[in-house]
Amino acid sequence: MPVGRTPRVSGLQRQVLHFYRNVIRTAREARPAESQQILQFARAEFERYREVDRKNYQLIEHLLRKGTKQLNLLQSTEVIGVQLHRAAAS
Amino acid sequence: MREFQIYRWDPDSQGKPSYASYNVDVNSCGPMMLDVLFKIKDEQDHTLAFRRSCREGICGSCAMNIDGTNGLACLTKVDRDPSKKSKIAPLPHMFVVKDLVVDMSNFYAQYKSIRPYLQSKTPADATKEGGEYLQSREDRTKLDGLYECILCACCSTSCPSYWWNEDKYLGPAVLLAAYRWIIDSRDQFTAERLAQLDDAYKLYRCHTIMNCAKVCPKGLNPGKAIAKIKQSVHLSHAV
Amino acid sequence: MRLTAGSNCLQALGVQSAGLVRGFAEQGTFLDKKDVTDRVLSVVKNFDKVDPSKVTPTSHFQNDLGLDSLDTVEVVMAFEEEFAVEIPDSEADRILSTSDAIDYLASHPMAK
Repeated sequence: MPVGRTPRVSGLQRQVLHFYRNVIRTAREARPAESQQILQFARAEFERYREVDRKNYQLIEHLLRKGTKQLNLLQSTEVIGVQLHRAAAS
Repeated sequence: MREFQIYRWDPDSQGKPSYASYNVDVNSCGPMMLDVLFKIKDEQDHTLAFRRSCREGICGSCAMNIDGTNGLACLTKVDRDPSKKSKIAPLPHMFVVKDLVVDMSNFYAQYKSIRPYLQSKTPADATKEGGEYLQSREDRTKLDGLYECILCACCSTSCPSYWWNEDKYLGPAVLLAAYRWIIDSRDQFTAERLAQLDDAYKLYRCHTIMNCAKVCPKGLNPGKAIAKIKQSVHLSHAV
Repeated sequence: MRLTAGSNCLQALGVQSAGLVRGFAEQGTFLDKKDVTDRVLSVVKNFDKVDPSKVTPTSHFQNDLGLDSLDTVEVVMAFEEEFAVEIPDSEADRILSTSDAIDYLASHPMAK
């Protein structure tokens, strides 16, 4: 991390962080077991794209739309949770 | 052999969108662009993504931009002249999910917003014996040229007004569907429907460019339906 | 309207009474700054990616504690739970250190 204060946050980065906050809020509404799974899933999805170039707006915006869609689905009453499945060790 | 350039983008590859070139022997292939796409997917590149279902122009899944014009791949004939090449892209100004597959969420949400179903103020069983909503032959004829729409979105995504205001302008396909319910003699919410559409953006972003009528694979004329909605809105004010 | 004690009752009264509660609170039920500091530090120390020995009342989450922006969001959300408040996005964006958090929560009339 560079010296001094945190680097300036772009509008898109702010949107991503706000989205992450909405995910956590949604997870809080779920039952405890599901809540943990939702948080795990969300964090893993974010980590998957950690190395994306910050100037790759097309991809970041795509992922934000995808995430928002998934979140809307999660917020609908028929859906109670989401789980991360790891493929068995090969 | 004939060259086909196809738009490719895979969000998971983290690369930039590009056109990939494929050479296809069109004489050993069906006549339509969808046949070419299948041949490429089967024989050259399994990772090519496109939507399709009925392969006969009734489902509206394979809408895409072929040589600069929106259309259904299954209804677009391929020119066999080997000196020509084709360029195939997703529907313009739509968010791409992968390759030729676009995000239709906004389009469907707009369609939902016009309540595309019969709305009645009197219960069905109270109208006529047997509980059906009856309609005269003349009234039924009014739906011709409207009910055939398959919601492929070729028209909306060819409309410059829709490109610039897809969040607020409903676009030709949805307005055509709206008019289909407005003139249905059995629907009793005509006034409410007109009032909902009477909006500077939802309806009046149509500037009669008429690309919609030009590209419609079913030969419909959304521009005309929109003009009729404008007329009906005008008349409803006069009362 | 009759106000009885008990948070359930207050919650049940909904939006209108939120103004009333705020009214009472603004007249002097801000939390003690020392108390806020202790609780903020303990939330941060309990965060599993943080080395508790590095946490001071002025630690910067990213520069001093090595958290990333997502971790920072998680920590700020943990403050929300600890102090039973909802921090709006615009405010949360500005909480980047333990001292930011202490200042914000100590001046928040609804913090419990």
